Amino acid sequence: MSKKFSMGQLKTDLSASWAIAKKDMRIYYIKPGTLMFGVLFPLFMFLSFAVGKNVPAATLIPGLISITILFSSSSIGPMVIPTERRVKTFERLVSAPISFYSIILGKTLGGFLFSLAIGVIPLLIGMVWFETQIISFLALVVGLALASYCFATLGIMFASFPTENPGDIMMLLNFVRLPLIFISGLYIPIESLPDWGQVAAAFSPLTYANDLVRYALEGKTLYGPVLDSVVLLFFTGVFLLISMRIQRKFREGVSIRRRKREKAANL
Amino acid sequence: MENAIEAINLTKYYDDLLAVDHINFEVKKAEILGFLGPNGAGKTTTIRMLTSLTTPSEGTAKVFGYDIQGQTIAAKRYMGIVPEISNIYDDLSAWDNLMFTGELYQVSKPEREKRARELLEMFGLYDRRNEKAKGFSKGMKRRLTISMGLINNPQLLFLDEPTSGLDVQSALIIKDVVRDLNKKGVTIFLTTHNIEEANVTCDRVAIIHKGKIAAIDTPERLKKTIQSVQSVEVAFDKTSPKLLKELEKIPLVNEVHKEGDKFRLYTHDPASVLAGLWEYAKANDLKPISLNTLGPSLEDVFVRLTEIDVKTNKEAI
Repeated sequence: MSKKFSMGQLKTDLSASWAIAKKDMRIYYIKPGTLMFGVLFPLFMFLSFAVGKNVPAATLIPGLISITILFSSSSIGPMVIPTERRVKTFERLVSAPISFYSIILGKTLGGFLFSLAIGVIPLLIGMVWFETQIISFLALVVGLALASYCFATLGIMFASFPTENPGDIMMLLNFVRLPLIFISGLYIPIESLPDWGQVAAAFSPLTYANDLVRYALEGKTLYGPVLDSVVLLFFTGVFLLISMRIQRKFREGVSIRRRKREKAANL
Repeated sequence: MENAIEAINLTKYYDDLLAVDHINFEVKKAEILGFLGPNGAGKTTTIRMLTSLTTPSEGTAKVFGYDIQGQTIAAKRYMGIVPEISNIYDDLSAWDNLMFTGELYQVSKPEREKRARELLEMFGLYDRRNEKAKGFSKGMKRRLTISMGLINNPQLLFLDEPTSGLDVQSALIIKDVVRDLNKKGVTIFLTTHNIEEANVTCDRVAIIHKGKIAAIDTPERLKKTIQSVQSVEVAFDKTSPKLLKELEKIPLVNEVHKEGDKFRLYTHDPASVLAGLWEYAKANDLKPISLNTLGPSLEDVFVRLTEIDVKTNKEAI
């Protein structure tokens, strides 16, 4: 990869990222796996815990938005990347004259835009049927955008592991996503959690996403919108960095195993 | 700069497995180089290193003077890559596959639309341009893959097994296009199992065996290196099961192979074998209905350079 920075190459990379994102949107947004893990799964997860609770429905809307964003944005990368590895179309991207960063950016953009579109649905439901109000429009836009991008990079980080089976990644990802739901103040306020729970909540990006959305819709916040935004940006950076490291380390992982098998068979 | 590709000590280890062993070669501009070798010889690993899909363990290569490791993106701009497996997007139409690839290679919209139309017409896919590729036959998918490899007007085209397992129509179209591209000055790096295809298409042929370049030269010069492997090919008006054994007894015949209704007698002296064959036919009341003397083929060269493995396998069996 060329190490020198140039504006021309940056423009090329951004344009390639957008092309990749557009292509992913057209191909993968309506795939059954995406709809199942990105739309239906969070909805039923939420309903299974929220239905029958003796709280006003409007207070559950920020949690529904947060959980929808978590699942929808982090599902695209793990669906797309292993599938493209299996059918070898990921190699088409890697062999193009673009930087690896642009491929990662393109893939995260796919999850980000999907999540923004899906995340608006519970907001509209809340506004139409449950009298949800927007207290801070800016905090809502920033919250939706930062949370969507952050969780999209979380999905990409997991998708960076060298497998050709989306199910492998989804299984691993759910080991992380499901516990996050319980420690991030979606159902139980963080203040009500035991001490260890409050410490664990501080390490969950979903805590800050939910706090920011709650601030935007209810005006209530535990950490403040600025700290929430900064921490979400920090997590995004960490997830991207780890993604790049894993991709570099395992870039040839799948092909190495296949080639070794072929070589051994031919000896 | 004369060379399109320059491989310098190119080496690849997969852990302790040496897949490509310090190979050196050049491909001149506008040349077609055939890259032949048995399965597992290192062909695909070499092509993957040259296209920057795999990082060399040692050595490097230059593409139009650009180092594939230090100047990867610059080197890739010159390349069109057609991998062994047709890696198209099944859920996109032929047209959209080309448009997307054009965008990746920064081909402007008017240019990629013009180019896509030309390529789809050239490969006989224009009428089906709006259909999703998942409904295409294997040959059509292959033609689309090659079209995608050409969308950026590459100066260097990597073709990995382009006609393997294809129908006659697709194979002929692809061969014609390869020749036309080469006439226009495009350098072609072709890996194939089809030795006859390499013989009639390539300016030079490299034979890779166990990760090393066993030979690299023009097909005719390679054949000359094994002039002892000449042959006489004969077909008689009638045949019998013992004929193969009988023909082996003709003086100066080293080996006889039955090929369909013909027999191929290997020798270093075709003239003497012809005389012996004539006497045998007369004595046994056989009438030759076709008779040819043949020089060594590229396949003979290939077998000669890689036959150690064949014998080893036979012994193992």
